[in-house]
Amino acid sequence: MIRPSTLFWGLLVAASGYAMFQVKYEVAQLEDELGRVNRQIGNGREAIRVLNAEWSYLNQPSRLDQLAKRYLNLGPIQTSQIGRLDTLPRRTPTPPAAAVAAAAPSLTPSLPATAPQLSSNAIGARQ
Amino acid sequence: MKPREDNPCRPRHFKPGPCAPAALDSPAQQSLETSQTRLVITGALFALAFLVIGLRLVEVAGFKAGESRLARNHGVEKAEVSRADIIDRNGVLLATTLAAPSLYANPKQIQQNQDPRRVAQKIASVLPDLNESEIYAKLTSDKSFVWLKRHLTPSEEFAVNRLGIPGLMFQSEERRVYPKGSLAAHVVGFVGIDDKGLAGIERGFDEVLHDRREPVELSLDLRLQYILRDEILRQIADFRAEGGMGLIMDVNTGEVLALVSLPDFDPNNPGTANEKTIFDRVTLGTYEMGSTFKIFNTAMALETHTATLASSYDATNPIHIAGFTIHDDHPQRRWLTVPEIFQYSSNIGSVKMALDAGTERQRDFLGRLGLLKTPAFELPEVAAPLVPAPWHTINTMTVAFGHGISVSPLQMASAVSAVVNGGVMHRPTIIKHQAGSPVAGQQVLSPRTSEDMRRLLRLVVERGTGKQVNAPGYLVGGKTGTAEKVAAGRYERKGLLSSFVGAFPITDPRFLVMISIDEPHGNKQSFGFATGGWTAAPAVGRVVQRMAPLMGIQPVDEDSPEIRRSLMVDSLTPQGRALAAN
Repeated sequence: MIRPSTLFWGLLVAASGYAMFQVKYEVAQLEDELGRVNRQIGNGREAIRVLNAEWSYLNQPSRLDQLAKRYLNLGPIQTSQIGRLDTLPRRTPTPPAAAVAAAAPSLTPSLPATAPQLSSNAIGARQ
Repeated sequence: MKPREDNPCRPRHFKPGPCAPAALDSPAQQSLETSQTRLVITGALFALAFLVIGLRLVEVAGFKAGESRLARNHGVEKAEVSRADIIDRNGVLLATTLAAPSLYANPKQIQQNQDPRRVAQKIASVLPDLNESEIYAKLTSDKSFVWLKRHLTPSEEFAVNRLGIPGLMFQSEERRVYPKGSLAAHVVGFVGIDDKGLAGIERGFDEVLHDRREPVELSLDLRLQYILRDEILRQIADFRAEGGMGLIMDVNTGEVLALVSLPDFDPNNPGTANEKTIFDRVTLGTYEMGSTFKIFNTAMALETHTATLASSYDATNPIHIAGFTIHDDHPQRRWLTVPEIFQYSSNIGSVKMALDAGTERQRDFLGRLGLLKTPAFELPEVAAPLVPAPWHTINTMTVAFGHGISVSPLQMASAVSAVVNGGVMHRPTIIKHQAGSPVAGQQVLSPRTSEDMRRLLRLVVERGTGKQVNAPGYLVGGKTGTAEKVAAGRYERKGLLSSFVGAFPITDPRFLVMISIDEPHGNKQSFGFATGGWTAAPAVGRVVQRMAPLMGIQPVDEDSPEIRRSLMVDSLTPQGRALAAN
């Protein structure tokens, strides 16, 4: 005849044993996964390094220069190709402009005065 | 309750025997007591132990204290590669370390299972640079380890793995890779087989590169580096020159944006380099710079007030001294003003200016510009200048036009930067200056002298020996120089070092461009001339035209009244200037 308390403790031992092994296997599994993910990260980083190096290699200026000469109809920018907005001749008022002026009288008088200051940037300048 | 002895129903076996009197201090009783005490103590200890374990369990289960430690232990190692990258100022990769596995074989294992001839054939098919018969010889050798190829690329590794031959194995190794090849070879340098820096930044920053994970950021701009190298290469080819060198510097910070020394080498194969190609002419070479030194001579005269822009000197006749004759390359045979001396690069006038100032002032001024001592620089290849000692009057005379003193182009560039940037001397550097942090500098000449010098430099390009610069709109100001090289202790009439050093836009200089061509030969385009004005100046002009749009510098109308006025060489004496101001 087993006493109820013995039964209780026995069951508790069995349950905790089961739980412990369960946790142990879970931990082992998680550790495997962690290792796998870390390896993947390492591989990914290595791949990034290789691709960076390749990107840099493929972007050698001499190579880009050759490709540009072969496939593009472009060359180094000349001074004559760069202009400023304020060197452009100012637009003379035409009848339609006068009509616009009539519609918005407050804007038009200030327009010619501000235009040269606004347009001090070079046009056509490319990087 | 009655005493036990009197109870007739008491269990018999509980009756103490007559010969075992239940005395409290009997040995049996005593040992019983002792074991009971021991049991209690042991029980308490066990209870304590279980309590500790229980608490720990609660802690582990409830607060997950262990998880982070576990994750930390299994974390990705921070030290992936043993050497940090090198990048340019825009983040372009110049040097990196890649895993490069090496392939080796176990011939014994291969001989056991397979036909070495077929294996050799297969390997040669995926690694075409290996010789099939050599592989075969290695595979049939009586060893258990032979290297087949060091440092495979990732695609080669993949191809070998795909063959699936047992007995072929990889040893993980690292390799330093320079994706830009020879473009910045002298700055970046290279490493030896043991990953130790042997030249350039790789050597100068060896420990930093080893310890640090973040890349080292250079001040170089790869785009400018390419432009400069391209134009110097073109001049070398056009003028059948020995070599060339060039430098682009930010005059306001001292940062070197491009540094070219030709011929150069491929740092990926340092074995193919020789003494000539590995030599960094810009930092390690010292040269008699010739007429470009007149920049310092004129600045000295103006700064020490031994001459003004209105002074004039007699340049009618050559100077004869100690068996030498000092004559002019562009003789005017008349009295010349200081601006004219500079414009026509008159040696005679320069010598007389230097004599007026005297040896002490000359030496002191050149010293302030850092031309008399080894410059502090991050690259290990830095040369000390060759300075006259003792400094006689004859030395004063030759130094005036850049002979009898040898400095490196690097020193030259930082000194000229100081002359044009308002008089502030910056230490030249190859490491990127962090935006916002102050630039260390030392005022070595007055802003007034610097402004006068800018006007004079512009005069040279506009009307003097630097007309071939021809970069319209960018206001280049500069000075030509053609020095005869010393060979076997005497000057060679034919062996020239032709230079041009210029800054732009000269109204508010931002960049200095300096190019020297070593031993150019005149061609049809240059009408047979091989001087700085015909070889280096046009290259500088083209470099400026190509780099200015990249750096966001807008061309201006050089003939506009404001520009003309700001660049006018005013030959007024201080008194005249004061009068004009009133």
